[in-house]
Amino acid sequence: MTSDRMPLDDEFKALAAFDWGADAAPLATIDAAVVACHGQESLTADLEQRFAAIVGGKASRAAKEYACRKLAMIGTAASVPTLAPLLADPVESHMARFALERIPAPAAGEALRQALGTARGDLAIGMISSLANRRDAASVPALAALLGGDPKTAAAAAAALGRIASPEAAKALAAATPPTDPVADAVIDARLACADALLAAGDRAAAKAIYQAVAAAIGDAPKTHRARAIRVAAKSGLLACLDGSVSP
Amino acid sequence: MPHQSAPSRRHFLATSAATTAAAVAAPYVITSKALGDATTPPASDRIVMGGIGLGNMGSGDQRAFLAHPHVQYVAVCDVREKWRNDAQQRVDEKHGAGACAAYVDFRELLGRDDIDAVHIATPDHWHALMTIAACRAGKDIYLQKPETLTLREGPLMIQAARRYGRVVSGGSQRVLEDYRQIVDPCWAGELGKITSIDIEPGPSSMACYLPALATPAGIDWDLWLGPAPWEPYNPGRCDGNYGAGGGSWRSYIDYSGGSLTDWGAHNFGGTIFAAGLLDLQPVKAVWHPASGDGKVAAHATLVYPNGVEVHCNRPKTLRPADPSATVTHERGITIRGDGNAVPPRAVPAYRGSGGIYGDFIECVKTRQRPFRDLEGAVNTMTAPHMLGLVRRLERSLEWDRAAQRFVNDEEANRLLDRARREPWIL
Repeated sequence: MTSDRMPLDDEFKALAAFDWGADAAPLATIDAAVVACHGQESLTADLEQRFAAIVGGKASRAAKEYACRKLAMIGTAASVPTLAPLLADPVESHMARFALERIPAPAAGEALRQALGTARGDLAIGMISSLANRRDAASVPALAALLGGDPKTAAAAAAALGRIASPEAAKALAAATPPTDPVADAVIDARLACADALLAAGDRAAAKAIYQAVAAAIGDAPKTHRARAIRVAAKSGLLACLDGSVSP
Repeated sequence: MPHQSAPSRRHFLATSAATTAAAVAAPYVITSKALGDATTPPASDRIVMGGIGLGNMGSGDQRAFLAHPHVQYVAVCDVREKWRNDAQQRVDEKHGAGACAAYVDFRELLGRDDIDAVHIATPDHWHALMTIAACRAGKDIYLQKPETLTLREGPLMIQAARRYGRVVSGGSQRVLEDYRQIVDPCWAGELGKITSIDIEPGPSSMACYLPALATPAGIDWDLWLGPAPWEPYNPGRCDGNYGAGGGSWRSYIDYSGGSLTDWGAHNFGGTIFAAGLLDLQPVKAVWHPASGDGKVAAHATLVYPNGVEVHCNRPKTLRPADPSATVTHERGITIRGDGNAVPPRAVPAYRGSGGIYGDFIECVKTRQRPFRDLEGAVNTMTAPHMLGLVRRLERSLEWDRAAQRFVNDEEANRLLDRARREPWIL
């Protein structure tokens, strides 16, 4: 490739007008170009710019979704300003996350955290899900603050803290006082996840404290399948603390 | 092999607690057959089961579990009304009217404390979420293959299963039942040390651009899509089962890995089991592009840490003359050894009775690891998933198993998983 721009003007014109059910051949050509550009920074940057233009323009939902899928593969911090405003849009939010979640640039994480500050309901859970998948340690304070709010959002925040599983996440979960399911259930699961992670990292004392707390909370005579499974997890965690074996 | 490993203290603890759980759980409805007979234990000793996803494979799984004398089947769940009703009717015919509850949302079924175990046969994009949710609910799980849709899902599923002491069986009955002609000689030691394998995996899944149609009554489309990106309804997205060239959910990347992972779960499953690779994951996937003159098709080689090379779709013109220590399977599998015979090992058998379903039920009762324990299934599926990625990226990849990441390929690492549609979170 001698130019810094792939000869794909016709294909991107077709993408801009694309909708479900239309001829997808131009998209296949673009797919191949994305793969062929691997390792060629200027060509990839050009493609990224073209995809961002689709996302930020007047294209159909189908075309924007296609562009977001490609930005998930090659997007950089340069695409974040285009993707971030879509996070608040109930129609576009998921596909914006589809891209942002996998863009490793810190700006992508920052955009998700900012959106979490204003999103509500399912959209907030979406931000939480993406921050969890990024294991975004910087979002722990924001997630901790959600543990006492709307139950569905709080349960998702607890799950995310379990995925992040840092000492700070463990502390936030320990301080939570969820009154009822599904939050209480999610907090216990997340605490066990944190304990497993702490044990794997060699912090046996911190892990043991969590396993003991969970075992005490569940009691010696659990009555449900769920409670029995939690007891199994806590007790086997305590055994692992004794013999030093790492949680699977 | 994972299912032969000595029980750990962790496992023993899980065993004792969960066995108690199974014993005290009562069925939802006690019918006239509740006291049992010469072949059927009383209801209080049966495993209480429900099914999630009752289409083609799910209905077959349901029939198998319904026929098992140690199962009391009490609940079905499907987002399609017809499949849900048909499945409910099958239970009613077996246990009597009113014996089976029907749900659209799997979370309601998992919320029932009387249910000990579930079988899951939804499209693949639901497998990880449902399996992890079932583990957290304290259920044991029979999970249709392919067990995973992405590479990242497998470790999270194993973590949930082990944490909560659950029995989780993958659902490839063919691994043991269809591949004995390659399994037996390998395990008998006749081939010696396995050196290389040729296998013919099917096509990968593809993007779906089918036109938007009105969603008909009788399907909860939002719940069918679940964590996958929102796309408009089209029967070609969600109907069918095995089509790899379009017109079936298995054709499309949001819901399936395609024939590569569907039949791949069987073909790789049988091959990897035969060759003794079940505990391993490939360390490299080497891409061989098509030759410039078009005479040699693109193909790939998966390299295992013990040096075994698994050649995928390698043109016959590139294959070496088979040594005498070779076994073949009609589904395009060739396994070669060095010919220096090694001590034989006994091929593991299913536990209990009733094939892989009976194996699962027996393991639920005894808390042993099933034949297709989740960990081996996840290891197996790593092979077709890696192959799918090198096909897609058209370059070689190196896999760090401990880190569960590709080495020096950020773009490939972005394809380890996908953002799930709200409100679904792993």
